[in-house]
Amino acid sequence: MNPVLKGAVDERRLQHGGAGLFDRVSQLFQVLERLPDRMSDEEVEGLLFVLPPDARASLGAMFLPRVREGSLAFVRMLCAWLREAAAGAQAGVSAILIPFCFPPELVHAFDRSFPITSEVLSTLGAVALEGQGERYYDMALGIGLPDHICSANAIEVGSMLGSDDFRPGAIISAAAGSCDINAKTHEILSLYHGIPQFILEKPVDNTERGQEQYLKNFNRLAARLEEFLGEELTEEKLRRTCVMVNRANELLAELWDLHKGRPDPVPNLFSLYTYGTRFAMWGTREAVDCMQVLVDVSRRRLKSGEYPAPKEVARCLLTYTSYYFDLANFFNWMEQQGYSYLGDGLGLLFPSFIDTTSRETMMAGLARNARDMPMTRQVGGPHMGLCWADDAVYAARDLGATCAIYSGHHSCKQTWSAVSILRQEMMDRAGIPLLVLQGDSWMRRTTPMSVIQHQVEEFIRNVVVRQAPGRRKVRRRVRGEGG
Amino acid sequence: MEAAAQGSAMDRVSALARVLENDPVRAWKEAGGAVVGYACVATPPEIMAAAGVLPYRLRALGNSQTQIADAHLSRFNCSFCRSCLQLGLDGSYSFLDGLVESNGCDHLRGMFENWQYSAPVPFFHYVKVPHETGDDALDYYTGELELFRDALRERFGSVISDEDILAAMDSQEAVREALRGIDMMRARSRPAFTGLEALELYLVSSAVPAADFLELAGRAAKERQNHGVNGYRARLMLCGAATDELELVAGIEDVGGLVVADAFCFGARAFSVPLRRDIEPVRALAEASLGGMLCPRMYADFSRRRDFVLQRIEMARVDGVVAMHNKFCDIHGVDNVQLRLDLEKRGVPVLQLEKEYGSGADIGRVRTRVQAFLERIGGHE
Repeated sequence: MNPVLKGAVDERRLQHGGAGLFDRVSQLFQVLERLPDRMSDEEVEGLLFVLPPDARASLGAMFLPRVREGSLAFVRMLCAWLREAAAGAQAGVSAILIPFCFPPELVHAFDRSFPITSEVLSTLGAVALEGQGERYYDMALGIGLPDHICSANAIEVGSMLGSDDFRPGAIISAAAGSCDINAKTHEILSLYHGIPQFILEKPVDNTERGQEQYLKNFNRLAARLEEFLGEELTEEKLRRTCVMVNRANELLAELWDLHKGRPDPVPNLFSLYTYGTRFAMWGTREAVDCMQVLVDVSRRRLKSGEYPAPKEVARCLLTYTSYYFDLANFFNWMEQQGYSYLGDGLGLLFPSFIDTTSRETMMAGLARNARDMPMTRQVGGPHMGLCWADDAVYAARDLGATCAIYSGHHSCKQTWSAVSILRQEMMDRAGIPLLVLQGDSWMRRTTPMSVIQHQVEEFIRNVVVRQAPGRRKVRRRVRGEGG
Repeated sequence: MEAAAQGSAMDRVSALARVLENDPVRAWKEAGGAVVGYACVATPPEIMAAAGVLPYRLRALGNSQTQIADAHLSRFNCSFCRSCLQLGLDGSYSFLDGLVESNGCDHLRGMFENWQYSAPVPFFHYVKVPHETGDDALDYYTGELELFRDALRERFGSVISDEDILAAMDSQEAVREALRGIDMMRARSRPAFTGLEALELYLVSSAVPAADFLELAGRAAKERQNHGVNGYRARLMLCGAATDELELVAGIEDVGGLVVADAFCFGARAFSVPLRRDIEPVRALAEASLGGMLCPRMYADFSRRRDFVLQRIEMARVDGVVAMHNKFCDIHGVDNVQLRLDLEKRGVPVLQLEKEYGSGADIGRVRTRVQAFLERIGGHE
């Protein structure tokens, strides 16, 4: 066992049924951290052979030759994230549980805190653990939570509620107003274990007044964290973080532009890697390194014209989440059919450059980017449907999407509330059809991947491909109170 | 249980509570008045009343048909909001001259957005309600209510001075005071009203002009002064999601659970907090609406919600609590878990009940669950 992790990951807990998600994921990644930088196909095959079936399926998808380099970079970034969290716990650094819609860079800026992103851990559970995250989801239901809670939160939070999993020192809740279930799930964790919770509310208001209010809320949160951690957030610490944020944002923008290539040179899985990095490690050197590899691989593919299918059949914009319980049969399968994955709603970030002149400019820049985090920016806007549509229409036009897919996640009540508006706006303003799917993004038990594949295939074959380019008339619509 | 005598005030209340466009609304419209719909207790009706507009709290009255709404919202949205949207889109709410949106929850926002997107009403305004109760949030919300006042002024051409608002506060406070009185009368050892009747009264209070309600409520209280409901097995308190389902409460009371208290926003949560008169009127409304909301949409505020429930349990000598939420209602679905855990720790029996809104098919299951709960808690004979 990694000497740093020894003790932090309790081996005794791992040996009986009480092992939590964090412990199990950490232990698996201790193994992955030892992988060499370059792996032959035979070495990958050998690695997969010793893994249990669910982990084998996911890592098999990630270590396909065409994505292997990017996957290894992503895995290394995650290893550093998990290692620092565990080591930090030993060294008295406070692990702060955050949702994906909160920028981790604010927590990274402190020396005495470290962000643990709820949805990233849940996704790792779904991707890497045997039995995926279902055991923890069931633990959440076991205390009486309803079965319409979100698995993205319930897997990690269920583990903390129902097992001996590690406990964060504090929780930041940033979803009030943009996702009820996200905010409520974190609240009950706080109440259940008596963990302090800090709220960052974004008013559903994009006017100057709303922006000022958000900046006040953001600054107040930072002050509360300073007090809680007993540490001043100095200009120097902020600058160190903001420089890394700016560099990562440049790479993010470059990756966006690379998606415009035809065929799309960015492997489908890189979307997941991009926002996995964004939600866990933005503001650190590790995030920059990972993003750099993703960009480098995509650049090379653009130059060589490498694409896994004979031709690009469809350019798909996923308008919200994706499906994460079967990477091989969603991301890679799409790519092999010639269905490029231009990105999804979690990548609709649109970060701005942070002016590092002073503490005030940096806090304002961080707050602006926090407002623009996915979900917060769209369904946390003054009109869920139209704010979401504004971004999706922009992305569809800019990236040359030929179709849109809403990977309906049963618990996303706010997007389910607005998807009919989105569909209409995509047709009217971007001239592309939207497929509405139903399932659970993090659990296979709701809709099997074979059904999802079938629906995607039928849609692309019968609706997208049959539609000659430019045939659908784009009607410009006067927008309401969007962004 | 004893039925109310024919021709009583409660007969009139009961009839008014069962229709959307009731007689007083029709009379108001015929006299040239405007009616504006709102959905959440975070929207103070006083500002609308001060504009000379009749505030009307949206309801679905147990409507279970949602075929038009289902083309806009989804099966993963709460059936109460789908039912309201259905009534908005099928013309049942054609008497409304405007709508006031508030961000009560994800489903409610979707209901308003789809309504306005598909069948726009002449006046539409969005009151953006914070999820915290601190000073900053209160300042922001006060500003929101000022913007609301401006929007009403612009649309309806009225002045809406502070004096107008103070007068509306007087009249709405009288309504709340009447409801508080009725609430006390149903909480007494020999309750003057059933839970069904109390809900009928509340529904009428937010759907007719204040003067009409005060007249009816006054008569009802007088008629029931010496009345006592008997023949029940246990005294229950209902809490949870927005509930205007008369049939649901009737179903629970039919099996012997007398509802002597509630913590609904269609109920006690809407009238428990008195208005301050020592500060600017809009600020006073903001304080009462935001600080007094007691809704699980608010964060860092659970203990106050729980204490409100505990205080009502004690006041009404409640034997057991039924904490309900509509399928897919996240805020109540999750909050009810913590509430159940906390109440059970204090020895209060709790039935946590998930249900479909307005579904006749669900009422049998609900009755069975309540019957089993009554068996568990024992209670009066």
